[in-house]
Amino acid sequence: MSTEHNCWQCGTPDVASLFCRYCNSLQAPIPNYYEFFGLNCQLALNPDHLQKQFYQLSRLLHPDRYTRRSEQEKHYSLQASSILNDAYRVLRDPIRRSEYVLNQAGFEIGDPRNKEVPPELLEEVFELNMALDELRMGDTEVLPQLDEMRQHFLDMMAEMDGELESQFLTHDAQPDDEARRKVLTGIRAILNRRRYIRNLVDEVDKQLTARNA
Amino acid sequence: MAYSEKVLDHYNHPRNVGSLDKKDPSVGTGLVGAPECGDVMKLQIKVNPDTGIIEDARFKTFGCGSAIASSSLATEMLKGKTVDEALQIKNTEIVNELSLPPVKIHCSVLAEDAIKAAITDYKAKMEVPSVSPLQTA
Repeated sequence: MSTEHNCWQCGTPDVASLFCRYCNSLQAPIPNYYEFFGLNCQLALNPDHLQKQFYQLSRLLHPDRYTRRSEQEKHYSLQASSILNDAYRVLRDPIRRSEYVLNQAGFEIGDPRNKEVPPELLEEVFELNMALDELRMGDTEVLPQLDEMRQHFLDMMAEMDGELESQFLTHDAQPDDEARRKVLTGIRAILNRRRYIRNLVDEVDKQLTARNA
Repeated sequence: MAYSEKVLDHYNHPRNVGSLDKKDPSVGTGLVGAPECGDVMKLQIKVNPDTGIIEDARFKTFGCGSAIASSSLATEMLKGKTVDEALQIKNTEIVNELSLPPVKIHCSVLAEDAIKAAITDYKAKMEVPSVSPLQTA
């Protein structure tokens, strides 16, 4: 899926990149983050490579370079720089990147305040709530337990990150869209669980900060 | 949304809050969670093994007022019933008793689930001695 059009300046057909290959004028920027970076829609990305491309594109698209150019190109350079920053912020982060790909593939992503308790976590969520309750009532003896639970949740998140990384590779290796969608369904489930645990950790942090304040 | 008087009463004066010894073979524990709102509910029953009557029930719920009231009421309903009678308790009884509005019906469903989970746990504990000789045979 590439966005092709004619160059606005010289009319060369099938311009699918940032610059016209014929007259080199800046084109209307492509809103898709992957296409913008000239990448295939893959989930596993090399962060160093991405960063290098980001710097290079930043220089090429910087509005300062277009002060003496046409209004059209000035306008495009502003647009393109803004998309570039958004795209880089999303693509460099594995979580946001996979959410972006899910979104593009038409998947609904769970509410960020997702409260659905993963069944295997019920016990721990209950214990955590008990400990937070006791802390609110001024019982500081639960602090070591809370620290331990917090660490345990962080470990679980780290484990999920590993799981995601390997699912990314599986996704990229699939031969067609249908097979990719299957992998994406699994990725979405991991992301939802991860978000739930993230919220738990945030809740603990909030309580601890409130106590120290 | 205003809570009914009965919900407020159970919320302000919850009955049977606390816990029973999970390891006691005559104690059944049900731990359930509600996907709709993130509520977590623990409900425990203590059964007289000779009569099958529920002698004590306790709960601890993290959630909204309706969830707390539903589980508080559930423990009251459980006491004095046999395990089989308790299995007949329907969430609609809780809805009616507490005048729960439609958006809070899931709280009563959660309480019913917790009762069923506690009974299942109790029954599983009771079966252990009679099952293991069969398994070894």
